[in-house]
Amino acid sequence: MRRFALRFLRSPEGMVGLVLLACLVAMALLAPFVFPRDPLSIVGRPLIAPFTDASLPLGTDRLGRDVLAGLMHGARASLLVGVFAALVAVAVGTVVGTVAGFAGGLIDEALMRVVDAFQVVPAFLLALAFVSVTGPSLPVIVFAVALGAWTGPARLARAEVLSIRERDYVAAARAIGMHPAEIAFKEVLPNALPPVLALVSVIVASAVLIEAALSFLNLGDPNIVTWGSMIAEGRNVLRTAPFLSIVPGFGLVLTVLGVYLFGEGLVEAMAHRRGRQ
Amino acid sequence: MGEPFVTARGLRKVFHSRGRDVTALDDVSFTLARGETLGLVGPSGSGKSTLARVLMRLIEPDAGAISIDGEDWLALRGRALRQRRGAIQMVFQEPLAAFNPRATIGGALDDPLRIHGIADRADRAERPRRIAELLERVGLPAGFAQRAVHEVSGGQRQRVAIARALATRPALIVLDEAVSALDVSVRGTILELLADVQKSDGIAYVFVSHDLAVVRVIAHRVAIMDAGRIVETGPTPGVIADPQSAMGRALVAAVPRLDFGRDDGA
Ligand SMILES: Nc1ncnc2c1ncn2[C@@H]1O[C@H](COP(=O)(O)OP(=O)(O)OP(=O)(O)O)[C@@H](O)[C@H]1O
Ligand SMILES: [Mg+2]
Repeated sequence: MRRFALRFLRSPEGMVGLVLLACLVAMALLAPFVFPRDPLSIVGRPLIAPFTDASLPLGTDRLGRDVLAGLMHGARASLLVGVFAALVAVAVGTVVGTVAGFAGGLIDEALMRVVDAFQVVPAFLLALAFVSVTGPSLPVIVFAVALGAWTGPARLARAEVLSIRERDYVAAARAIGMHPAEIAFKEVLPNALPPVLALVSVIVASAVLIEAALSFLNLGDPNIVTWGSMIAEGRNVLRTAPFLSIVPGFGLVLTVLGVYLFGEGLVEAMAHRRGRQ
Repeated sequence: MGEPFVTARGLRKVFHSRGRDVTALDDVSFTLARGETLGLVGPSGSGKSTLARVLMRLIEPDAGAISIDGEDWLALRGRALRQRRGAIQMVFQEPLAAFNPRATIGGALDDPLRIHGIADRADRAERPRRIAELLERVGLPAGFAQRAVHEVSGGQRQRVAIARALATRPALIVLDEAVSALDVSVRGTILELLADVQKSDGIAYVFVSHDLAVVRVIAHRVAIMDAGRIVETGPTPGVIADPQSAMGRALVAAVPRLDFGRDDGA
């Protein structure tokens, strides 16, 4: 494990990703302490340009709300949606893939047709449809994003399980009389997980973007600041105050980049470890 | 050696792979007494592993019957089968592949104890004691329980596999090439361990190998397989001294040591 961490830290992608993600997490965690007031509250004149007022370093928006406070609080929404959507997607996908691959036959057929059905609809449309029907709130958005993301983990887990279930240790577990459910979830699933985890970074990155796009379309949680809603706000004054869209846009780009590079570093370190065995 | 403990009749198994039919077992019958070792010898692809797995109910045969201790072994299903599985255990060729890569030795031995409710009458504290006993039984220190399976040597790992097979107190252990992957020096000590266990517990073995030299050391009787059929069977010394089948003669000829050493009374 320590060697794994060292190898990760030595890869440049992993390091850059780690630093970017650390900044994002720090922003999200510190937001309520640095800006205890509701970031949606008005703190000054509208449309103060960035770097002109020391107390409002990134200026204010059309309504006089602090942009830096919005940026930091917005990191919370992006992070929450990204992490929880990925968790739900990987959990559901891995369980479905494991059951399909392990049970085989009709159960496998049925589950994989459901996966196909979800996969032909673009993830964003799925999220859009779900949120517009159920109404926007953070848990709904998490679920809506996961809806379009669990099929990848399901397919990967199934493929892995198909190969693992032929191994001798699964035969050994059957030979000692272990219950099939215990074999599937205790013996097979944990060993099918590593390749699925390589998908996490892609899922988190797309979840962050989908959340932003939903907020941009006014389908985000209306009670919290998100980068998407900030960009949507700024769009109205794009010519006179482009920074209102650029600042949260920058946040998005760096987050997605950070998650992606971090994932690359992990996959690389993992590949080394596998190669060694 | 008493009435048969295992009776197999007319076992047949055909694999269908890529449009071709492979007859892995063709009308295979044999008997095995309690405490007896049957050596199963044959060239690669002759169906030895298939027979071992059919016996273990890991593969279902297309036809035939197996009775164990008078009971119809192939009729058992679900929960009843899982419970009865404790009576027949298996040791695999590759000890590394036979354990979950994440398992500790203690965890691997705990599973059969837990599943078969051995030693968990009222207190779970009994299980670590049983694990230590099992390890001692196969000549490993009790401290091994904390180690990961992949941390120990191949020979030690095969001892753990034997300990796992012993955990459910079986009447029969099926060993599929159980010593083939081990160093020659380690092989001898594992064979000795198996013989000791058999002597003290009266466990029957089906010992699968492609190597007559190894089988001669441990098996009371041998069955020689060729292309899915048992072509010859009899007491080990007799078959080695005077093989009747073509495959038997070929296998004996393939191990020159047997020709020279067959009078030393194995
Ligand atoms: N799952 C399977 N699917 C298709 N064919 C199989 C399968 N398992 C075994 N066979 C075929 O059945 C025949 C017998 O195989 P088996 O593994 O029982 O032989 P074996 O005597 O154990 O050989 P070895 O000494 O190489 O282990 C072979 O021709 C093999 O290719
Ligand atoms: Mg074999």
